[in-house]
Amino acid sequence: MGSFRAHPRTTLPFTMSPLSLIFLIIGVPAFVGLAYIFVRGSTGLRRYILTRIALTLPMVFILASLVFFVLRVIPGDPVSSALGPKGSPETVARLREQLGLNDPLILQYARFLGSVVTLDFGNSLTGAHRPIVDEMSERFPATLELVIPAAILSLVLGIFGGAFAASRRKRTTDYSLRLYSVIIYSLPIFWLGLMLQLLFGVKLGWLPIAGRIDAIAGTTLHHITNIYSVDALLTGNWTALRSVLEHLVLPTLTLGLILSGVFVRLTRINVIETLQQDYIAAARARGIRERVVIYNHALKNAMIPVITLIGLQVAILLAGAVLTETVFSWPGMGRYLVERISSRDYTAVQSVITMFALFVALISLAVDIIYSLVDPRVRY
Amino acid sequence: MRRRFWVVALIAAFALIAAACGGTGTTTTQATTTTAAPTTTAGPGTTAAPTTTAATGPKTIIIGTTDTIASLDPADAYATRDWELIKNTGEGLMKWAPGSGDKLIPGLATAPPTVSDDGLTYTVTLKDGIKFGDGTDLTAQVFADSMNRVLTIGPDCPNGVADALVTPYLASVEATDASTIVFHLSQPVAYFPQLLATGPYIPADPNIFPADQCDLFPPAPIYGVGPWIITQYTQQEQVVLEPNPYYNGDYKPQVDQIIVRFYSDPQTMALALQNGEIDIAWRFLGTELIQQLESVPDVTVGAINGGAIRYLIINHTMAPFDDDNVRKAVASLIDRDQMADTVFGGQVTPLYSQVPPGFLGANEAFDTAYQAPNMAAAQQYLTDAGYSESNHLQLDLYYPPEHYGASTADWMAVLQQQLEASGMIDVTLNAVEWSTYVTALTGGEAYSAGVLGWFFDYPDPSNYLEPFVYNGGEGTNVTKPAEGNAFGVGIDDKSQQLTDLLGQAATETDQTKRADLYGQAQDLYADLVVTLPLFFEPEHVVYASYIHGDSMYDSPDTLNIGPTIEFNYSTLTTDK
Repeated sequence: MGSFRAHPRTTLPFTMSPLSLIFLIIGVPAFVGLAYIFVRGSTGLRRYILTRIALTLPMVFILASLVFFVLRVIPGDPVSSALGPKGSPETVARLREQLGLNDPLILQYARFLGSVVTLDFGNSLTGAHRPIVDEMSERFPATLELVIPAAILSLVLGIFGGAFAASRRKRTTDYSLRLYSVIIYSLPIFWLGLMLQLLFGVKLGWLPIAGRIDAIAGTTLHHITNIYSVDALLTGNWTALRSVLEHLVLPTLTLGLILSGVFVRLTRINVIETLQQDYIAAARARGIRERVVIYNHALKNAMIPVITLIGLQVAILLAGAVLTETVFSWPGMGRYLVERISSRDYTAVQSVITMFALFVALISLAVDIIYSLVDPRVRY
Repeated sequence: MRRRFWVVALIAAFALIAAACGGTGTTTTQATTTTAAPTTTAGPGTTAAPTTTAATGPKTIIIGTTDTIASLDPADAYATRDWELIKNTGEGLMKWAPGSGDKLIPGLATAPPTVSDDGLTYTVTLKDGIKFGDGTDLTAQVFADSMNRVLTIGPDCPNGVADALVTPYLASVEATDASTIVFHLSQPVAYFPQLLATGPYIPADPNIFPADQCDLFPPAPIYGVGPWIITQYTQQEQVVLEPNPYYNGDYKPQVDQIIVRFYSDPQTMALALQNGEIDIAWRFLGTELIQQLESVPDVTVGAINGGAIRYLIINHTMAPFDDDNVRKAVASLIDRDQMADTVFGGQVTPLYSQVPPGFLGANEAFDTAYQAPNMAAAQQYLTDAGYSESNHLQLDLYYPPEHYGASTADWMAVLQQQLEASGMIDVTLNAVEWSTYVTALTGGEAYSAGVLGWFFDYPDPSNYLEPFVYNGGEGTNVTKPAEGNAFGVGIDDKSQQLTDLLGQAATETDQTKRADLYGQAQDLYADLVVTLPLFFEPEHVVYASYIHGDSMYDSPDTLNIGPTIEFNYSTLTTDK
């Protein structure tokens, strides 16, 4: 009591911002992969990649512009929302002037576009009034830490579940998996999350209900990338790592299970169609084991439409993350977006949606490139 | 060719890593700050940690909240949770005793301030040996500099409201010697000692907060002169507080660590409490969740009769409420008990004056004047106003559907039924999004009547009456702003009489006379139906059975959170 306690710190040989590190972790491999494909690919593939990149930019521009104007059409403004009844008319007028809300709309729009191009989104209009890049660099890693395992879970469950259902066509397993896919996809995320919290948290006491890390373990974690599992690994903080993984289970299950339903159905139908092809009959005639036929021969070819769907599902994954983060008090971009929408924080909302759009566009681009590699017939 | 590609790719990747590592900046310095607290000399009065603590880990209490923090700078902070942190890490010259609603006691001051005969000069003597958490001495000059900082930069701070508790009252502050602070007021203010207990009057550490600009979130550790230091702050996740080794005041921390965890949703926070992830849930759990938690074993629900009130703003210059009889008819029809019982299961308390019970001079003026529900009187008022069963009064009532909770629509529907029961009124309810709503309502030009909530800045009747009377009165329009008149001019004789009465009460230093003046003001307020008070909501703190509030203070059952809604973390203990 009364003593002053220093926190254990692990010193790293370098310092950098979380966004830079995430760029290194994801961006560099992606860049290297793209460069490899570009160098090694045919002229047609190169043209295709360039065309897709060229189409991505106007898509992000149109979406960002739409968000900008829609925000200004809907009722309310950040200053009134923040001050409430205690803000005098003079204070409201001064803050509106300070925040540039009295400027002509076209000037605000130009300023916004400039901020998108430079990726310097300015300061948030309400709350802490901090640079949005700082706020995103804290929250984007949290969202990544949630959506990546959720996406992996949904893909593993969906693809193998679908293939398994196809291999047991018209048997109880098939009917059960089809029923699962319909039910799980139609469940509201917040309801599933709440049920999992009640069962595994309150009732059984196995797992934590909310947050990214236990409060006390959180005080010992050194923030490097802000992806807590990575930070715990980098610093060898095993207590924190265990806590982070425990906290990941329920949100990942919620988001991953919901998204797995559509993959089960799509994979199942495609595997069934593929299994009717002549080359499958030939494989079976050669005496190849059924499991090898399904998982090595049929599944590979059935994956082409599934890959397309992965690209489309990224947007749904992020939308799901917004709800999941709210239910689990997960401090990511989704929760940030919800808070900022309710306070009419124009710049924060615009910036987050633009970042989401960029993220979806880049993933779609990657998926399309993979698709073109898997199916050489695809060209612009 | 392939091998050559990979060599080039690897070189490029290393080059990128090297370039990124070369930077020294980090974007996490402000919010995700995990700065180690100083481990150097412990301050006076501190002792080494007991062996048992070292063996079993620090005693920690985790408080969950759905509040957010907008600022930690005393010159800018205004929200309840902001002040809670500022007051636990700092202290004012005056402070409210834990658990009480009316015990204003000296904090950093040796005694209550002395006031000059003209009421314009307050003199305070600082206690000796007060230090900030980083060891900096708090002298009278440092305190004066901190107040002058609020006066200078406060109006330009981003959140823009906190200085309203300083700049209208304070002309200047000076230190006349090492321990004497002199406040020069621009007008006599009887409740100035209470203002000294508010957030902007908490001294800011000059080494943390720059003199010439607001710093809403300086990197941790953040020091004040109070019992706690903020050692970590992670946006949207948690704030960690640890004892201030230099603190030698009355409220020494009884645990090693307080962690405030942020939740986006009250339901999740309630589940986290049941799951043992937090020890205390403090603000906001709705009525339904409170009722559920009351039946959970090993969890205690404490109700605090705070000052959060709900009322109707009545626009006196807009039809039909520009008619005195219409206002009185509506005041006669409202059955507050029914509203409290049917919608809130009795968890809110009917309010019969704009000043809630327990505050200086509070009375039940609306009950005395109207004895609502009084159908006969209401129908007579409506008849006098020219309405009848064939010529109904058309009323538009406005409300924000989300801002005050989902129950708002329910009790507005009850209000509609009560008014329409007269057989002479048709009510149209209009739900409007908050930011549009609040501007339109308090602007006094768009809506004839609408719902609003209020929570005091300092617990004094003036803070419940003046805002609704002076200078347009938040949309009541009983006064209009006038050149050279700080409070505005009444729109009629009674309004002017009320304005004068409030001005007189604000400068009266004799508390008995002051209470009497506020009693008269409330009677006149009810007669005019300036606003229509409906009910006040208790706050709830819910905590695990192993958490205790120190029994030497007034309200251990509510963890010594009193009607001032101040939560002093130093009064907490845990058996865990």
